[in-house]
Amino acid sequence: MKANFMSDRQLLEIMAYSDGELDAPRRHAVEKLIAEDPAAAALHQELIACATVLRAHEPLGTVPETREFYWSQIQRRIDAAEKASARAKAPIAPVFGWLRWLAPAIGVAAVALVVTYQQRPGPTILAVGEASSMTFTSEADGVTISWIN
Amino acid sequence: MPASLKNDYLSAPDDALVGWAQKGDTEAFEQLVFRHRDKIYARAMMMMRNEQEALDLSQEAWVKSWQRLHQFQGDSSFATWMTRIVINLCLDQIRRQKKMRAESFEQIEEDLGGVERQMAVEHVNPTEGLEKDELRKRIDEAMAKLTEAHRTVLVMHEFQGLEYKEIAKRVGISIGTVMSRLFYARRRMASLLQGLRRERSE
Repeated sequence: MKANFMSDRQLLEIMAYSDGELDAPRRHAVEKLIAEDPAAAALHQELIACATVLRAHEPLGTVPETREFYWSQIQRRIDAAEKASARAKAPIAPVFGWLRWLAPAIGVAAVALVVTYQQRPGPTILAVGEASSMTFTSEADGVTISWIN
Repeated sequence: MPASLKNDYLSAPDDALVGWAQKGDTEAFEQLVFRHRDKIYARAMMMMRNEQEALDLSQEAWVKSWQRLHQFQGDSSFATWMTRIVINLCLDQIRRQKKMRAESFEQIEEDLGGVERQMAVEHVNPTEGLEKDELRKRIDEAMAKLTEAHRTVLVMHEFQGLEYKEIAKRVGISIGTVMSRLFYARRRMASLLQGLRRERSE
């Protein structure tokens, strides 16, 4: 019996009906189709039978290794994962312990450097007589330059 | 280990073993591995069709389960929880290998509803002719003939018992694609099983 005269949607809905995946209105529509169309009914039966056969006869497998060897490999992986996790969580090694004090020390040194630099006498610009004249003095270089407009 | 305790492990239900394993008892966990290893391996084998990969993924599943054992609340059986872990690992592996994309040509034709519409309806009767063990073997052989994409959906629906929506979410495809693949896979299985029966009777 061919099922090729039904639409794709109908074919899939028959399957969804077999799997209990349809809401009430669509369920009723498929039930009507199955009741009226022998091809739809046959397809429904085939899908159910196939699923039943599969579920009742799930292929079995046997681990192709001895129990001891299989477990030893799992145990080795668990140990390796736990060691890796412990390493990741471990505190910094004592030999490098002093490094943790280095960060604030570097911070303090940087601040001190900035303050020292700002306190260095640098070039100053003095405005004389509003915008009519301007004087530039560099104590470091011992130079004074004046502009007069 | 005292003999009495060893006997406890052998006779204890899964729930008790899980409880002990959650407290760090590796012997209890080993017993769980021993009880369910074949099922977990078989599920991985069905998905991957490769002994080495199945072995590797099944072991990885046990490692993951040991690490996440505290998350197991007993909502499902331990075996169901374990099969879920191994299926997820298989899906990750398949994604990594991009096998599904490699099969895309064959898939597109099948997903669009080509050949399965033309197949004659088969009458699959599990009790007819074949012994149970032989039928299992035949089903396994038939499943090997499906593409990975179709087999994945079939395994997740028929053996894992997942709904269309859940399969779509886990595999990362639409519900329509799940339905289309499942429909094709079932029809092809029906046809393959019927063919095997015919071969046998000849």
